[in-house]
Amino acid sequence: MNASIIGQMTVSGALMGLVYALIAYGFQLTYATSKSINFGQGELVMVSAFFSLTLMNLGVPYWLMIPGGLLFGALLGLIVERAGVRLALEQKSEGWILLSIIIGLFFFSAAENIWGRDDRPFPTPISADPIHVLGVDVTRLELSVAVGVLAIMGLVELFKRRTLLGKAFEAVSADRDAAELMGISATRTVMLSYGLSGAVAALAGILVSPITTVGPTMASALILKAFAVAVVAGLDSGFGVVLVGMFLGALESLASFYLGSGWREAPGLVLLILALAMRPTGVFGKATIRKV
Amino acid sequence: MKRILLLRGAELIVFAFLATIPLLVVNPYALGLLTLLAIYGILLIGLDVTVGYVGQVNLAHVAFLGLGAYAAGLVVTKLGLGMAPALLAAMAVGLLLGGLLALPALRLEGPQFALATLSFAALSTTALNELESLTGGAQGLSLARPPILGHVLTPPLFYWLCMALLALVWMLMRNLLASQWGRAFEALRDSPIATDAMGVGTYRHKVAAFALGSGLGGLAGGLYAFNFQYLQPQSFTYDLMIILLLGVVLGGRKSLWGAFVGATVIVLLPNLLSNRLLFQVFSGLGFAGALAAGVRGLVKKTTRPFQAMAPVAAMGLLVVGGLFVENTEDWRKAIFALMLFSVVVGLPEGIMGFLASFLAKLFRVPHAPLPEPADIEAILPPRATDGSPLLVLDDLKRYFGGVKAVDGLSMTIRSGAIHGLIGPNGSGKSTVVNVISGLYTPSSGRMLLRGAVLPTGSLFQVAQSGVARTFQNLQLFGELTALENVMVALKGVYRSPLPLVLLGLARLEERRAQADALCLLDRIGLKDQARTKAKDLTYGAQRFLEIARALARKPDLLILDEPAAGLAHPDVVQLIEIIKRVHRRGISILLIEHHMDVVSELCDVVTVLDGGKVIAEGTPDEVKRHPKVVEAYLGQPPQPDLSGGAAPLPA
Repeated sequence: MNASIIGQMTVSGALMGLVYALIAYGFQLTYATSKSINFGQGELVMVSAFFSLTLMNLGVPYWLMIPGGLLFGALLGLIVERAGVRLALEQKSEGWILLSIIIGLFFFSAAENIWGRDDRPFPTPISADPIHVLGVDVTRLELSVAVGVLAIMGLVELFKRRTLLGKAFEAVSADRDAAELMGISATRTVMLSYGLSGAVAALAGILVSPITTVGPTMASALILKAFAVAVVAGLDSGFGVVLVGMFLGALESLASFYLGSGWREAPGLVLLILALAMRPTGVFGKATIRKV
Repeated sequence: MKRILLLRGAELIVFAFLATIPLLVVNPYALGLLTLLAIYGILLIGLDVTVGYVGQVNLAHVAFLGLGAYAAGLVVTKLGLGMAPALLAAMAVGLLLGGLLALPALRLEGPQFALATLSFAALSTTALNELESLTGGAQGLSLARPPILGHVLTPPLFYWLCMALLALVWMLMRNLLASQWGRAFEALRDSPIATDAMGVGTYRHKVAAFALGSGLGGLAGGLYAFNFQYLQPQSFTYDLMIILLLGVVLGGRKSLWGAFVGATVIVLLPNLLSNRLLFQVFSGLGFAGALAAGVRGLVKKTTRPFQAMAPVAAMGLLVVGGLFVENTEDWRKAIFALMLFSVVVGLPEGIMGFLASFLAKLFRVPHAPLPEPADIEAILPPRATDGSPLLVLDDLKRYFGGVKAVDGLSMTIRSGAIHGLIGPNGSGKSTVVNVISGLYTPSSGRMLLRGAVLPTGSLFQVAQSGVARTFQNLQLFGELTALENVMVALKGVYRSPLPLVLLGLARLEERRAQADALCLLDRIGLKDQARTKAKDLTYGAQRFLEIARALARKPDLLILDEPAAGLAHPDVVQLIEIIKRVHRRGISILLIEHHMDVVSELCDVVTVLDGGKVIAEGTPDEVKRHPKVVEAYLGQPPQPDLSGGAAPLPA
């Protein structure tokens, strides 16, 4: 097999992998504050993409649509937090897993009925013509995904480090009880994290839609791989998700090339089960000491 | 007696009724639904093991249904074997793959476990789709129902087969879940650490629970294959998994009847959705129920406002939606979601959880009577103590990164002693306990129990070698009763092999375990609260229960980790009495404590730690006067002119 095809597959796979990394980053945000993740995050990606598409169909220009889509995603994130996660965490049970699945299911059904079951194209002003870089063809569209992913992750990290609200976020992540004693409302911080996580999911939807088209099932495969990335990297690994995301993206692109497209999801899933078995805290995660 | 009659009678009546149906009803559609009911019943009983008893969100069950179905289908179509081998193969596939999946998933809790199972399910769908030469891929796999002993299985015969298997599974699982196995599964859910520390073994029970549940999933899959006689990978997806969860949660967890009710709901759902009138009646009933429960909860202030009103809102949405939506079938997922949401939030115990207590009151079902407590002489015969070294710690070290929590500790606990271990906060006492009991692996150093090397880094193995411990932060099995907490830890009682347990032939040892556990509860004054759930006991009682549970291990050495922490004065007095009584049975005790009065009254020898090192050792009085101890506690060098009397220590 010649090297340029392998290079091509690796690069475009790795760029797609950045989308998984972005969704995985959304898991990290909520995990940090509340040790919970939204199992229906894929539905947030999908519904936000549909909503953004509707905005554009109503005549909103692409660049104005993006903040609208992000706000909508944040709103959905807040709904998940209020209706599911908060209640279950109050009861100190694992019920939040079920509730977040259930709320996702509701969103899915609503999207099916409001926007239909068919896949639709997602227009974008960014061109899909390839540019030739170092012997590999890359489209501007793929590059825009990379730029968008890294930009929003950078912004959120800046927000966490430079603003007072962001520091409250970090405080709750580090020690919830101590933060509460210092007068920081953990509940509001968890809400904030779910809002951010929802906005991040919406951006993932907006970035990936021009490539994959928009449909109710667009996120079901995506989300599995985002789970894999989050767990393999570690749910508290920070930028570890970027590396693992690109690695996984490249790996599955090669797998679908050599094994057939049906096996596309397999490497991520195998990787995930292996990672859970060998290092439950993830490759870049911190090991915790059990206390009794 | 009345209890047995009522419970077994209800089972008998239902199954007898179900068995006679084919003789009365000739409607093939109804018979088809009832066959499905039996299959889903088996499937949900299996799912309930992991979701209900072990308390983990298991998203792989649908995969075992699919894998079992394909295994049965392939045995018939490719190998040409009959139905019995096919069903066995289906079950074996579930057992084996379930056990295999449990191995990596073992160390995982909560979200990680759910993710591992979700990935497995997705992977198995991919495999079924892609291994086309074997499974036929998306084209599907057709199979015929092979005859049994020359009889062609007509729908009624197949129905009886499914029902018979359900009844069999029901009986076996009832026996298993009422035994030590069932208790161990639940213990695992409430505190994996304590399960290991009580020598029960999280490892094998978690694998067993998962393999067992998955095996039943596989068996149900085999029946599924012969019921539909056509298989497609798309049948076993996430959507069905959610419906199965709906069944277990709605029916009621930790209950065979709950699984049965859940299966009924699942079977009836499609009809419910296709018939508009039926749907409106049911959603209306659901709304009324949620409203009544919500208002009642609000008035009695037993539920928070959100918890009371959210189900009402969800069911209200269902009713209103039912009026406006053109085709309810299109919205089935949203309908499932709303129903599940209401149940998870408003009725977490499920229908049977709610009905069980109601019916028990209605029919005045008495509790099963408890046996007379056993004789303490038989359970904990007094042991001879000779003051020889029991546990020797030699230059023990445990570092956490740069923190030297235990730094070269050497001490000897003698047989028959109550050995105190004290020291200021952060001196390394708890780390010592955690190293001895196997929660932490020592960084270096040796530990000898009666001259033999004590296993390190395994709570389970240390517990097996005769060391029992209590926990400073309580690690009781909250959902188990006080009696069950002690029973689950009892050593040397459960000898019956699994097949006997399954057949219900292990009742004698179960009675004996109850008698033994009652005796131990009696020693700590909790005999009258034997049936109270551990989480509902008072704080003091919970602390005592920890001791009784550790005693059930019949240990040579009992480690008490701050047993008096947070106790009120009367409880402390009782605690001292309990420890003295335990000591009189010849059990050596390592007591970690802050209360100096407790230490002074009980201990023969006291070792004082500071900064991970021994700074003093001797009788309580000697230690109290030791200048280094005074310094460690009060943080100032002793004044020469004041050192005449004993320096007071903070209590």
